[in-house]
Amino acid sequence: MNKGNAVKIGTMLLGLGSAVALAQTPLLASNTAAAQQRPAQKAGCIELKSVAETEESYRDANGQPAVRLVPVAKVVPGTQVIWTLSATNVCAVAADKVFIDNPVPAHMSLLGDSARGAGADVSYSLDGKQFAPPEQLRVVDADGATRAARADEYTHIRWVFRNSIGPGQLAAASFRATVR
Amino acid sequence: MKLRAATALLLSATALSPAAFAVGALAGAQIQNTAQVSYVVGGNTATQNSNTVSLTVNEILDVVATLQSGDVSVTPGATNQIVVVRVTNTGNGSETFRLTLNSVLGGDDFDPTPSSPAIYLDNDASGTLTPGDTPYVAGTNDPVLAADAFVTILVLNDIGAPLATGARGQTRLTAAALTGTGAPGTAFAGQGTGGTDAVAGTSGADAFATGTYIVSDIALAANKTAVVTDPFGGARPVPGARIAYQIVVTATGTGTASTAVFSDVIPANTTYVPASLSLNGTAMTDVSDADAGQFLVAPSPRVSVGLGNLTQASGPQTIRFTVSIN
Repeated sequence: MNKGNAVKIGTMLLGLGSAVALAQTPLLASNTAAAQQRPAQKAGCIELKSVAETEESYRDANGQPAVRLVPVAKVVPGTQVIWTLSATNVCAVAADKVFIDNPVPAHMSLLGDSARGAGADVSYSLDGKQFAPPEQLRVVDADGATRAARADEYTHIRWVFRNSIGPGQLAAASFRATVR
Repeated sequence: MKLRAATALLLSATALSPAAFAVGALAGAQIQNTAQVSYVVGGNTATQNSNTVSLTVNEILDVVATLQSGDVSVTPGATNQIVVVRVTNTGNGSETFRLTLNSVLGGDDFDPTPSSPAIYLDNDASGTLTPGDTPYVAGTNDPVLAADAFVTILVLNDIGAPLATGARGQTRLTAAALTGTGAPGTAFAGQGTGGTDAVAGTSGADAFATGTYIVSDIALAANKTAVVTDPFGGARPVPGARIAYQIVVTATGTGTASTAVFSDVIPANTTYVPASLSLNGTAMTDVSDADAGQFLVAPSPRVSVGLGNLTQASGPQTIRFTVSIN
């Protein structure tokens, strides 16, 4: 991820709190109308977009080595893929209690400590049902001993956003996983 | 500031280079990802799926060749001297491998001469030339290996004469992916399993193993003695009498007799006495297992004892077993 993108997302998310505050009061009037319209549409109030990218090394304008993200469609074992999820509120009202769930894709291993989400608390699961921070995830080995689960054993990731997402606002989450 | 720190962490994670996976996602596999978002609007809980992203796993072309035999002791003028090489497909798709042999290598004392034929597919993976093994013909029976599968190859060379004791001659077997070879990362569009792209892995899609012949004048001598005990306390070879055999194998000369195996057919009209086999006073089981000895029923009943690499310094190796007269 280059700095330009990161700062851009950061700015949008940092502005989130005030946007939510604004949205909650004056737009309450149109809330009913929006709620009536939405069920008729297939899409809900939040559009979730998933993108897969890999890192590519290149030389910047000054000839210095740099890294950028490029879309990826073909991989090989060992390829590290950066998955980015963008949740955009397309309604005229704020969305509360927003959380994103992403199963770790088949044939992939989650890279430890790679899940990111500004304004979100990240937790993981070993079964897709119970989510917890890494230190609370334990597995039982064949010999009966209990140990901390490794990141490559996590099956699901969850981002719980602490704040509402206002109309037109975007919340982003990302993780890295390696093709087995 | 927090985001900046996160960015720095993301970048540092890229320094971790992914290891080469022998076992991995198979070429042609699809990796799909759909995320789900849940939220509350106007008191109503809703969930929404993301678009589904699909990634195709390309074929990695990778191969490893490993020498299965140690240095092979040979005598001047010997023919069909065997070096054993295992070729393993460490890629993630089925691949055909072309085999080539080079016995004219620098850095050794003599050049072995490839026998005719010089390469065999060791179909029974015995490490020795047996009637079931097939001569290799490039383009005709190139081994096709599934991901992680291997084939054992026998490389046969003839040894010239005269040669000084201790002279070393090398031979090299190379296995190359038929799809193509090249620097790691070289891509062959559309030529991988299931129409995927094939990409040369860390091996460059080819690999070789080099075997060494060492001229030796070592000789193995076996001295066999038998003691008969009849059921009546005497030593007459009557039905029911037992014959205890003792064989002493001695290596003399310089060099090493590699992976020496003692094998002795059970004489006609006698039956091997179970669990009577021993090497240097240590009993061995009759089955093929961790110990060096075993009793084999087919093709004809015999005992077989692996003696390992023998030198003159190994000293005499004493093998004992017993048969009963039918």
